[in-house]
Amino acid sequence: MEPNQLEVSPPEAASSAARAFAAALAETTQFKAFEQAYDTLRKDSPAQEALAAYREKARSLQAMLMLSAVEEAERAELERLKQDYLSRPGVRAYNAAEADLIELSQAVAGRISEAIGLNYAASCGASCCG
Amino acid sequence: MKNNGTIPPELNVATDELIRNLVSSKPLADYARAREQMHSDPQAHALLERLSGLQTDIRRKQAGGAVTQEDLKNLRAAQADVQSNGAIIAYAVSQQEAVSFLREINREISELLGMDFASLARQRTC
Repeated sequence: MEPNQLEVSPPEAASSAARAFAAALAETTQFKAFEQAYDTLRKDSPAQEALAAYREKARSLQAMLMLSAVEEAERAELERLKQDYLSRPGVRAYNAAEADLIELSQAVAGRISEAIGLNYAASCGASCCG
Repeated sequence: MKNNGTIPPELNVATDELIRNLVSSKPLADYARAREQMHSDPQAHALLERLSGLQTDIRRKQAGGAVTQEDLKNLRAAQADVQSNGAIIAYAVSQQEAVSFLREINREISELLGMDFASLARQRTC
């Protein structure tokens, strides 16, 4: 059907479809797994402490990092703290769940973009560089 | 858990319905029409090609500090021509309106999800 042959629907129809879409996405196993992993990680005290330790170290080195003037031992310690956080089971589970949800969201947004002739994510202000 | 590009059936149905309603909404229908008209307007096409060519030329010359007043004059003239072409203007305006509408739709989706759907869907290329 040509664009000028389309019957224009009221904005409320798209809003209603958007809400139904959000509800369907929220019911997927990927979304539920992500929410579960997020909750678990939030309550994972050792992981939160590891994150705080990494952030504190990064904060203390921020000025030197910007100048590329951090000593090798300090840089290695920062990397060790980062890996300590990333290797925790709760963090790994969260990252895996997030990756699955992102993959699903990209697949769906890709279909929308293709159909409307506009990049959905980019149009909504999400650039690849944050 | 890997998706392998598979969208669950219920989400697939909801996505189809969302697409159907987006495509038939006024902002996106106007955008599709304006895009079609611009693409079928040879003058608009030629103007955009000329502007793009001049911009590429100037960027290349800038590296060597070789941009002349004549280059800038040609660029400004091409920009003025583009800005006075009805099909291009209609396309640009309709695109802005379509983007505003999409942002509103994304806000509704994101409010219900508790997170920004567009950010989840962005391609992480850098």
